[in-house]
Amino acid sequence: MTDSGDKGLVFNIQRFSVHDGPGIRTTVFFKGCPLRCLWCSNPESQDYRQTLIVRDMTCTACGKCVAVCPLKAISIDENSGRRIDWSKCNQCLRCVEACMYSSLNRCGDYMTVAEIIKEVARDTLFYKNSGGGVTISGGEPLLQHAFLMKLLPVCKDSGYHVALDTTGFASREVIKSILPYVDLVLFDIKHLDDETHRKLTGVGNKAILSNLREVAKASNIWLRVPLIEGLNDSAEEIEKIGKLAKAVGAEKVSLLPYHEGGVSKSYQIGREYLIPKAKPPSAQYIESLKCLLLKMGVKATVGS
Amino acid sequence: MAEIKENIKSRLVIKAVRNVRRGDVNESAERGMYRPDIKLDLQRSRLMTASYKATDGKPMIMRRAKAFENILANMDLYIQDWERIVGSNVSFPQGLYFGIDMNWRSVERIVRGKEGQSLLDEKGRSELKAMIDYWKGKSMSDRQQTLFTGPILKYWKYEGTFLWTHWSELGIPDYEMIFRVGLKGIIQEAETRLAEIDTVVPADYLEQKEFLNSAIIALKALIRFANRYAVMAREMAARTVEAEHKKRLLEIAETCEWVPENPPRTFLEALQSFFFIHVGRYVEYSTLGIGVRFDKIFGSYYEQDISDGRLTREEALEILQLLWVKFHELGLVYSPMLSGIYGGVESLQAITVGGVDQDGNDITNEMTYLVLETAQSMKTLEPSIAMRYHEGTPDKLLHKAAEVMHEGIGYPSMFNDKGLIPTLRKWDVPLEDARDYAVTGCVYIEIPGKNIARRAHGALVLPKCLWWALHSGINPENNEQWGAKTPDPAEFSSVNDILAAYLDQVRFFFGRMTKIENICRSLYETYLPRPFYSAVLEGCIEKGRDTRRWAYPSMVHDFVVIIGATNVVDSLSAIKRVVFENKLVTLPELIEIMDRNWEGHEEIRQACINAPKYGNDDEYVDLMARDVHYGTSSVLAEFSDRFGNPLRGDGSGVSATYGLAYHTPATPDGRKNADAFSDATLSPSQGSDFKGPTAVLKSAAKIDTEKTYNHLLNQKFLPSMLEGDMRDVFVSYLRTWGDMEISHIQFNVVDKETLLDAQKHPENYSDMIVRVAGYSAYFVDLSKGLQDSIIRRTEQTFE
Repeated sequence: MTDSGDKGLVFNIQRFSVHDGPGIRTTVFFKGCPLRCLWCSNPESQDYRQTLIVRDMTCTACGKCVAVCPLKAISIDENSGRRIDWSKCNQCLRCVEACMYSSLNRCGDYMTVAEIIKEVARDTLFYKNSGGGVTISGGEPLLQHAFLMKLLPVCKDSGYHVALDTTGFASREVIKSILPYVDLVLFDIKHLDDETHRKLTGVGNKAILSNLREVAKASNIWLRVPLIEGLNDSAEEIEKIGKLAKAVGAEKVSLLPYHEGGVSKSYQIGREYLIPKAKPPSAQYIESLKCLLLKMGVKATVGS
Repeated sequence: MAEIKENIKSRLVIKAVRNVRRGDVNESAERGMYRPDIKLDLQRSRLMTASYKATDGKPMIMRRAKAFENILANMDLYIQDWERIVGSNVSFPQGLYFGIDMNWRSVERIVRGKEGQSLLDEKGRSELKAMIDYWKGKSMSDRQQTLFTGPILKYWKYEGTFLWTHWSELGIPDYEMIFRVGLKGIIQEAETRLAEIDTVVPADYLEQKEFLNSAIIALKALIRFANRYAVMAREMAARTVEAEHKKRLLEIAETCEWVPENPPRTFLEALQSFFFIHVGRYVEYSTLGIGVRFDKIFGSYYEQDISDGRLTREEALEILQLLWVKFHELGLVYSPMLSGIYGGVESLQAITVGGVDQDGNDITNEMTYLVLETAQSMKTLEPSIAMRYHEGTPDKLLHKAAEVMHEGIGYPSMFNDKGLIPTLRKWDVPLEDARDYAVTGCVYIEIPGKNIARRAHGALVLPKCLWWALHSGINPENNEQWGAKTPDPAEFSSVNDILAAYLDQVRFFFGRMTKIENICRSLYETYLPRPFYSAVLEGCIEKGRDTRRWAYPSMVHDFVVIIGATNVVDSLSAIKRVVFENKLVTLPELIEIMDRNWEGHEEIRQACINAPKYGNDDEYVDLMARDVHYGTSSVLAEFSDRFGNPLRGDGSGVSATYGLAYHTPATPDGRKNADAFSDATLSPSQGSDFKGPTAVLKSAAKIDTEKTYNHLLNQKFLPSMLEGDMRDVFVSYLRTWGDMEISHIQFNVVDKETLLDAQKHPENYSDMIVRVAGYSAYFVDLSKGLQDSIIRRTEQTFE
């Protein structure tokens, strides 16, 4: 699939988003991500294709999906109900068409600028009263750069406050070209050590940090730090992030405690969840990290 | 301070009724309808019966005034040692009010059955029996039963499409007038009128004379009632050593010697005067609600006391807390059937704060905040706080409101001047009056002081009307033509055909309900005149006529609670999608499948469930919602009350959306037999809104209040949404709701886990309050099914 720019691949449009930038917002989630963060809470967003996502609860084991699957990846077992052999699945999604119970579903819709704007426009009054707007998120939305270059100017022309939620993992040119249409960048910082970053996310952070400095010149920034106990939550690490925040003039650091959203979703897309025992740091400890940042003169919030 | 509050809270007497039935079917009678310490108080019945016997043959209005006088002159009084505001409609704090003059049958039944055995001892039961012997043939329900014949009697009996109900009569006395002249001023006016009619001799001379004399008797009776408290307080003070207690008693004596006879001079006197009037209204007649615009009425008394140095803010707060305890002493006995509609209610008492004055200026004052702080510190069932919103509502007040909502008690609930004032204008209410509207209980809108003896005369089950439309009005069990004779469903070729048949059924059943209501209203006029209440309204003394013999000229009066509109909408949407567009089944096939409660056809049910649902900002179905509401509203308005005012619906819903759903079989929206309906006129069906709260508001805003009725909308928010920085976002959300002109919104601020845990461990949550409909209730008082229906309301979460 190539990014021709006529349509974007969107896996969710979340209205009443209140943790992705100021005020009440609508967040448009783009599908596809170059990172593979161990704790990813939206693993269905990683694959840059339309993919299958299942809900076992509504399955009645009617067998219609078994009949249409060309690769015989689905079977019905009397005891355990429907089973999917994900290793055989090629995401043809014929089973989704056959399912009557919304148990097999398609993740990802190709949408035009007009279709997205129509959805976004629905809550305009809420943005106005709350100082909110649109957040572009993912996956990594910058992967669909050509499409964003069509969508974002329309958002700006419509008067929306635009926030970009990004991993920062993109080419310098891509990032620079998008900044004129963005009011705020929610920039993810997962770890400051290149090697550790690679272990945790599958990619190094050199390009990311270099992009951060570039972004800082042109846009307001909130640094967003997911906190996973034992992986990136040491006081030392947070202190470093605090220093970075000051260096690049970030408006604030958002500490985002790990949540288990990714566990069930991994199951729903037939993926193994790599860190099943992960948990967030204790509320008390997170509070101490927040205090640490505040003492450094860095504004910090928890959860948004 | 905190210690005092806790102390005050411990004095609460809880008279909430538990819902023990769904429709006419027992659900959980063994729980008992009331807490074990609550006892039926027979004193009012005893004194009323004695008076009725003594006044046999006199004009009814005189008999009612004399009975009122006898009760107030002889009922045992109590002053609890902590009280600063006194008065009650019963003779002991745990007493339960009982209107033997209305309906004794259900009470006779429940005190013998599991529902209410603990309410009365053996001696009480035999006294009750003796009194009932007198009332047989004389109580309101007896008179109804003898008057109804033939087709009316047939439809009066509840079968699931509508439930016509007794009482539910509210009303707001003209407190501003009462405070201005005192009851003595009203008595003087009545005496002047008596002298005038002796000069003029109008055509209805006798009627006027009897009314005015009765009103004077009733007003004097309430003054003497207050004076009895004064005497009692002085006697108690003489025996009391403890200085603070003695001081309180002497204060009570002085207050009750002065009000309600004279205009109040202080904040405390104003509250005491108000409470006597409130209690008087409850003693005279089986009634509900409060309705007073609390900050508008009491704000100036408070401020005067503060500037005169008579009162501190802390003391005012404490007095209000004590008043809140007194509100809780006003309960009443419900029939088991009504317990299913009023699950968890005491007396549906609501007070109003905020909004504009008659000139359109914001009325927020310090009392507005004090009321909210009282609610926050007391966290009581009643009074529920109705907050009026308009553009000029201060941000500070909205933040305070959010803080109180965060307590999870379900109030303040928000009423939108921008939606309601134009609606009242449309109902021919003059602008000045419209600006003064208040909420009496649930979402009942009234105009203070005006002759609006408001009645919710029952509940109309809209999905059942649709069900009849899908069965040509024929009861499949016995082939009887029970509803309107609408076309065979096989002939329907569009959703509009079905809508038309549905409206025919609404017309048919509401027509019958209206007949019953209008007949009963003339019974009420003849047998239950209200000399006391009439005297404290604007216009009755001047006209020389009881409240029931004329009416404020507007359709603001009578209404029917409409249940399940959203299920009708979602059903039509499902039929359109599944039958007419996707042609999965024919309409007769769908009806057959549905009538077998979907058994063996879960795939069709799923297809119906997956059709577009109201509450997702989706024009496909939201425009149908508009058609259903506008159509229903027009049909209701084809009927009039006895004074020619068109009738209307109301979104109050109470717990009937659960209780009365029992007798509606499966519906095309995928709902199964007896499952609860959507919980309010503007609420999506439980769990059917997937696009978040803003989408719900967008859907709701498409239904114009002016073209319908006042609505109710429930949303459930996680507590975190109202905390810290998020509170600003929440307040902006409220303002946007205001801009959208939606008439009402209220929030259950609690997480699902807490509710589930409370189901498992009720002992740990005995004081947890949740919002049911237009009122709040103790979660533990609700039946499991009603609890479940509250848990299923979609929790508005955010990523």
